[in-house]
Amino acid sequence: MTNAIAAAIIMAATVLGVGFGMCFATSKAVESAARQPEAAGRIQTLLLLGCALAESIGLYGFIIAIILATAK
Amino acid sequence: METKQIILAAVGAALLGVTLAGYIVAKRGGGAQPTKKQRRIRKLWFVGVLISAYLTAGSLITGLSGKRSELKIEFEMFSERVPLFAGITVAKTTVLGAALLVILTVLMLLFRFIAVPKFTEGSPGRLQNVFELIVETLDSFVGKATNPGMTPLLAPYMLSVALYMFASALTELFGLRAPISDLTFTFSLGLCTLALVNICGIRENGFGGRLRNMGGPVPWMRPIMVPLKMVSDFAVPISLACRLFGNMMGGMLVMELLKGVLGGFALGLPAVAGIYFNLIHPMLQIYIFVTLSLTYISEALE
Repeated sequence: MTNAIAAAIIMAATVLGVGFGMCFATSKAVESAARQPEAAGRIQTLLLLGCALAESIGLYGFIIAIILATAK
Repeated sequence: METKQIILAAVGAALLGVTLAGYIVAKRGGGAQPTKKQRRIRKLWFVGVLISAYLTAGSLITGLSGKRSELKIEFEMFSERVPLFAGITVAKTTVLGAALLVILTVLMLLFRFIAVPKFTEGSPGRLQNVFELIVETLDSFVGKATNPGMTPLLAPYMLSVALYMFASALTELFGLRAPISDLTFTFSLGLCTLALVNICGIRENGFGGRLRNMGGPVPWMRPIMVPLKMVSDFAVPISLACRLFGNMMGGMLVMELLKGVLGGFALGLPAVAGIYFNLIHPMLQIYIFVTLSLTYISEALE
């Protein structure tokens, strides 16, 4: 039970952080793509990379939460 | 079978009969060239047939197999192990990965010795066009990400890794645990990337050049910076492995959860979700893996 609560707290915190991070990145990317449509392709690649890097932080939390939730 | 399921199945069957009759009547009524309204009515009846068939089949399966919808997943961090010989056990995913490698190698050899000799210089056929497109796109992608001199070394490696990863992600469609959702598989791929980073760095700049590159621009800080850079280099395979593993594991868990929640009604709907979680999502992750590997390599090439 304690493990499950700990896993839930970890997931909530990481998802909050990663959600904010990805939303900032995406909003800036949309802004710059609107300002300079000819650079949209390059921006998209960079955005994908940055989102992947941000997402991996969330995945670390996810893995830890899974380990905690399945620990006996 | 419980009474609840029998009632549900009976209701479903009755609905199926009614909607089927309605559909047939609507189809007859329209003739060869139905008006717009008739077509819409026909479509509505068809949707009704689908829904009632789904209801009937789902309740029948639930009743006969006793499969309940439950919010519970059986999950182990590492896959089960099978005995190899003399008390040594191997993970099932490792066996599957090795088998996939053999299958892919045989396929590629067949392709090399049957299809490739038929390729011509002047007028490419359909197959040759497709493969030339793939190879050229990949070559220019790798050349842009690192430098064109590295293309002969890196492009074939990246394509084969992507193919292997995609094939191992597809094994989940057969109900097996995919090798790609095992931490050992992804970590070994990450180690390959680390090895490539060092190989390419040393090939481009020489051993001393690689050390100087790691040390940064300020000479007197190099003794401190090199060990730090080494630590951050060793984080490369860990971060690559955890990213891929977490993504694939997340996709697998969502699919398992969906199947568990739907229970006996898991007809067709998991396949729709599987288009994303088993096809598009692995492709995206493979793209990210390849791009990040190339970024790390191009960092070492500077």
